[in-house]
Amino acid sequence: MSSEALVPSPHRGEGEGEGRESREYRWRMPANWWTRSRRYFLYVVREFTALPLALWLLWLLVEIKRAGDGPARYSPHGSAAFVVFSVIVLLFALYHSFTFLTLAGTIIHLRFIDRPVPASLIVLSQFALWAVASGVIAFVLIWFGR
Amino acid sequence: MIRRQALLHLLYWFAFAQGGVIAAVLIPVHVLIQGILGPLGVVPVVDRHYDTWVRVLGNPLVKLYLLVLIAVPFFHFAHRLRYLLVDLGVPAAKGAPAQAVFYGGAVLVTLVTIWVLLTTVPISFG
Repeated sequence: MSSEALVPSPHRGEGEGEGRESREYRWRMPANWWTRSRRYFLYVVREFTALPLALWLLWLLVEIKRAGDGPARYSPHGSAAFVVFSVIVLLFALYHSFTFLTLAGTIIHLRFIDRPVPASLIVLSQFALWAVASGVIAFVLIWFGR
Repeated sequence: MIRRQALLHLLYWFAFAQGGVIAAVLIPVHVLIQGILGPLGVVPVVDRHYDTWVRVLGNPLVKLYLLVLIAVPFFHFAHRLRYLLVDLGVPAAKGAPAQAVFYGGAVLVTLVTIWVLLTTVPISFG
């Protein structure tokens, strides 16, 4: 350390916060801020969708791992509790899909022959992609299950 | 340093956005078919029987698809859940340890998924 660092600054006290305790940013929002407005609540629900979706994907990983148990011991999940869990996850999944694909209209900006493509068309294309992908995946899951 | 930070942000945001798209486009139909209609017996589904499940799991394209389906959304989930905690008043979720836990968790899920897919059913082209 140089000796200069030990010499008090001639400007001490002029800068805001200098000479006081550290001015770390403190959280000031009340814990229940997200329950005070429908928009805030839906925002938190949207972010929360990640948790049930993650749990369901981990279940799918377990289902894949179970295929290694052999034909005699293999038993897929099928309890009523699992179906109820999946119904709840599906509601969260649909909410994530709806909100995320709708965002595309705000995020993606395209031009076609010097004219901006309308946001509604971009959103529509995202939902069309979702519908086609869902149809193809449903077909594969059912067709190869026969 | 700034360029390195910008590159990291690019990678974070790319993983976040791709994870969001994959979760939005692919997950609902899997939950509907494999989580509800299959277990209820409404439709035959590939994972309800050992033979059909093992047959598709051996396909390398299916393995690649399942890796993308399971692993990539976790980078999206990690980001969303970390910032949800920040918004709910847990400032520690902004710190480096929290980042290591959340994004490291996504990396861990990716590695476990690769391991499960490679060790559960051998690759077959039949």
